[in-house]
Amino acid sequence: MTPKNNIVIGVIIALLVAASYNIDANPIDFVQGLPNLGIVAEEMLLVEPKYIPTALWAMFETIQMAFIGTIVGVAIALPMSMLAARNLNSKYVYAPIRALLAAIRTFPSILWAILFVIMVGLGPFAGVLAIIMYTIGFVAKLQYESIETIDSDPMDAVSSIGVSKWQLIRYVVIPESASHLLSQMLYMFDYNVRQTSILGLVGAGGIGFYIINYIKFFEYGKAAVFMLVVLAAVLVIDWVSVKIRDKYIIKSQHGMEVRAKSN
Amino acid sequence: MKQIQMTKNLPFSSIATKKIIQMNGVWTSYDSKNFALEGINMSIDRGTNYAIVGQSGSGKSTLLKLMNGMMIPSKGIIKIDYVTPKMNDKKFKKMMHTIGYIPQNLGLVKNSTVIENILIGALPRLGKIQSFLKKFPEDEINEAKKIISQVGLSGKEERKAYMLSGGEKRRVAIARALMQHPSILLADEIVSELDHVTAREIMDLITDAQKRMNLTAIMVHHDMQLALEYANRVAVIKEGQKILEIGVEGDTIVDFQTGDLSTEEIMEMYADDSKK
Repeated sequence: MTPKNNIVIGVIIALLVAASYNIDANPIDFVQGLPNLGIVAEEMLLVEPKYIPTALWAMFETIQMAFIGTIVGVAIALPMSMLAARNLNSKYVYAPIRALLAAIRTFPSILWAILFVIMVGLGPFAGVLAIIMYTIGFVAKLQYESIETIDSDPMDAVSSIGVSKWQLIRYVVIPESASHLLSQMLYMFDYNVRQTSILGLVGAGGIGFYIINYIKFFEYGKAAVFMLVVLAAVLVIDWVSVKIRDKYIIKSQHGMEVRAKSN
Repeated sequence: MKQIQMTKNLPFSSIATKKIIQMNGVWTSYDSKNFALEGINMSIDRGTNYAIVGQSGSGKSTLLKLMNGMMIPSKGIIKIDYVTPKMNDKKFKKMMHTIGYIPQNLGLVKNSTVIENILIGALPRLGKIQSFLKKFPEDEINEAKKIISQVGLSGKEERKAYMLSGGEKRRVAIARALMQHPSILLADEIVSELDHVTAREIMDLITDAQKRMNLTAIMVHHDMQLALEYANRVAVIKEGQKILEIGVEGDTIVDFQTGDLSTEEIMEMYADDSKK
């Protein structure tokens, strides 16, 4: 540990204390508040199983919303990422597209949801639109970054044949970045399921609508059923995407066979 | 470098069609200060098996990139089959279709199969909609299969490029270039990472194709031995300058003072430009 490092760590700690003081983050309040959490936890343990079918149905709706949002979002994001990639376009094309994508990303999905609830009214459709916007902003960014890291070698070799830009995209860019895209789609779907679960907060459909209402009325036992269903769904989706990733992605990215350990 | 008088309205004709690459006083640079090539004169006949030899950083890869228009000289003049390479120039773009270029790392699309990689060579002949749908006509596919068997990859058509060995990858790259119906084949150190046996197999393959299709093969090597063994003509590049050019005729090596163009040829090159 050099003296310089010590100074850096000291400065970080000082900033931490100053910032905590400024925003009234008080550890004592946290400790004093712990018993309140105990009350919530106790009530949550009074799980009411008869709500499980409703919860499953709400989760199914949520997953469908996330699914539509992811697929449509990626379908729109893909051409935008091609336009935003620096190695495929001139500055006059990629700069405005990137600015647009950055603007889309600025809003979290919950703000998009509020906007679309105003536009198309309460319900899942507003939520789907919000998810689409959010997906476009993120997937397009991740995808143009992965396009920019494509090996320049096949790009040079193929463009030296004198092919058109569309042919270059179709025969080099898409095959070389497809595994990244699949990986991003899986990640985005996973993320969107969790996102959609809270869009109910602003009336944009999904399971979050139930959770927020039961919490508002202090019915923690009922809310707990819905939260457990979300947890279970996220675990299942995570497990499935790991399987897909092992089968299709890692292999093509590293050029070798990867076998998941099985006992 | 020869000094020449610019004369306009030169009678156009004469020497034509024999030379495929002509360079006169070519300088190139990646930035404004450091030159990769310093005043290269070169003249390559159609149908030659030409080798460029030099150490790493001597400028030999740059020289190759000049020959398919990937780089443009900062000074001097270059003609490829009597056309000045220019990006976005229709006439030259048409020519690019028939220049097979194999970069040092081969430039294969690693997630595509062998046959997909090879069919890329046929893309300039494919219509917009067909190429979007990846729908190649039957005769192109048959030709690709024929080339696959010529380069010794039969049975591996559907293998992904990343699964191939070093020698097999090189065969795919050669097949892709042959699929272009090339008149020139450029290869950048294509065998330098291979063992002796495989290297000779690959060199034989290229030399066979070169003779059969009467191509001009221009290959960069860092191994002089290999160059002398296969090429008709060898140029040695050192620190951006051509220090030697020799011809190989059977077992005898002939020193050439050429590569410098005749005055007549130089005048014709400039005349063509001023005509535009």
